[in-house]
Amino acid sequence: MNNYRGVWKTVRGCLAATLLAVTLGCSAAPKPADTAPGVKKIAAGQEFSGFLKNYEQLKPNSNLGENALTFAGTEARKNLRSYFAIVVDPVEVYIATDADATKVNEDARLALTNYFQHALVAAVEDAFPPVDKAGPLTLRLRAALVGVDVGGQVAPGDAPTDAQPLERALNIGKVGVEMELVDSVTGERIAAMVDRSNLGAGAEVGAVQFSRVEKFEAARHAFDEWASRVREFLDSAHELTGADAEKADKSYQPYQ
Amino acid sequence: MRRTLSLMCIVLLVSGISIRAEDVTTFHAYVDSDLCARLMLGPITQSRVECSQKTYKDGSNAVLVRLTDNTVFSVNKEKLLKERVGQLATVTGQAKVKSGTMKLESVMPEVESNIPQGDPARRLLDVRTYKTTASAQIHEKVRHELAMIPYITEFDFISFTLVDDTVILTGWTVRATNRGDAAYRAKSVPGVRAVINNIEELPLGSSDMAIRADVRTRLQRVLSTYFWSNGSDIKIIVRNGNIILLGNVRTQQDSDAASIQAKSVPLSFHVFNLLRVAPDAPKKDKG
Repeated sequence: MNNYRGVWKTVRGCLAATLLAVTLGCSAAPKPADTAPGVKKIAAGQEFSGFLKNYEQLKPNSNLGENALTFAGTEARKNLRSYFAIVVDPVEVYIATDADATKVNEDARLALTNYFQHALVAAVEDAFPPVDKAGPLTLRLRAALVGVDVGGQVAPGDAPTDAQPLERALNIGKVGVEMELVDSVTGERIAAMVDRSNLGAGAEVGAVQFSRVEKFEAARHAFDEWASRVREFLDSAHELTGADAEKADKSYQPYQ
Repeated sequence: MRRTLSLMCIVLLVSGISIRAEDVTTFHAYVDSDLCARLMLGPITQSRVECSQKTYKDGSNAVLVRLTDNTVFSVNKEKLLKERVGQLATVTGQAKVKSGTMKLESVMPEVESNIPQGDPARRLLDVRTYKTTASAQIHEKVRHELAMIPYITEFDFISFTLVDDTVILTGWTVRATNRGDAAYRAKSVPGVRAVINNIEELPLGSSDMAIRADVRTRLQRVLSTYFWSNGSDIKIIVRNGNIILLGNVRTQQDSDAASIQAKSVPLSFHVFNLLRVAPDAPKKDKG
């Protein structure tokens, strides 16, 4: 019996010490207020955010105008046509080099990323049906909003009562999109795109549910448009031309 | 207060009943197998009945073919059709033409003689009245349009029949866009009046995905000349573990080899080899 008491004393001692250490550790660590943990910053003087593993393969794409750089693999069985399902990853956010990261809280980050993720799914789902997990014939779409800046205070009247206003608006005036499609099993790159189209000029996001707030309509349009340009890129990569079109035409016979 | 609530209940009940009444429909149908319904378009002949019964026995799902216009419906209660494959029936339920699905409520056996003369449902039952007298030029234009659908892969098979000025689209696809695009393209051909869209969008279950990838890898290894970078002469349709091979190969040996490869894929149930042997099929370049 005495032995048990001894053990219990030791355990209590250990627990108390652990609790003390955890408390001290927590209070000693710098607490970045409400800064969203998923927010990254573009390094100073860099042309690209660093979200993509490499940018060398990207080339101007005449179908999408001068602001888009794209890459689509052509290797047999490692090109876009070899896949048809898609897993869309949560979108990442890179704030502008001179923006104050502490002013971008989690609500603000989620407002941007949730909307854009849904816009991406809506833009591609009839061509690449979304699935929940990685697997064969499935691509993984990684995307980032690059160049987000901190906007002004959100005035009480800017968001209706049923929408939750953000502490600080996010300015998407200089935002661009970087995205990559990789094999969901091997992680090998199949296609990529950097879109610097200035679609968000003058647009801000000032509420969590900004998609239904008229004041932030411009932001919604910008996100939808970036997503539809991703789809345009996929469409152009699938277009049958030249020898491929000839082969497809020759090969196709209805079943009779 | 009580009176208002009772009134609201009555209104809701009446509107519910009227909505329901609008949705429920009854029609004459042929109970077919999914496979024959999507490939053997045309009158209900003895060979079609045999195809329906054999392929259903081999694992193809039971579906309904509406006799008036050849629309194929996948049903929620397949058990109700179990005993009637290869036969006629009068069916009642909520039919959704857009998705090609039907919530079945009842299935009653039907005999041909009960369908009145002159009823549009009779057309599919008589080889003399079912004629595919369509222009060869329109047929070729529709064929070309469908061949150029950009998102078609080896896992999609889209076919069609031209009956007078109506295009009946059939087949299976893994992408919703192909179903819509095929109908749009067929409809845009001058001379086509109507399009019946029987293309089924396949479910993307994880085991079906694994089977698709595995069959493709095996066939590519053994029959590489039928595959090129952006397509193939062999189509691999996978639905709930069943594999359907379609397309053209040059020799019977190639067809047999495809069967053997597909049958060796784990998790698959049945292989329907519908590859056609066409010695003059164009030889493809590798890669």
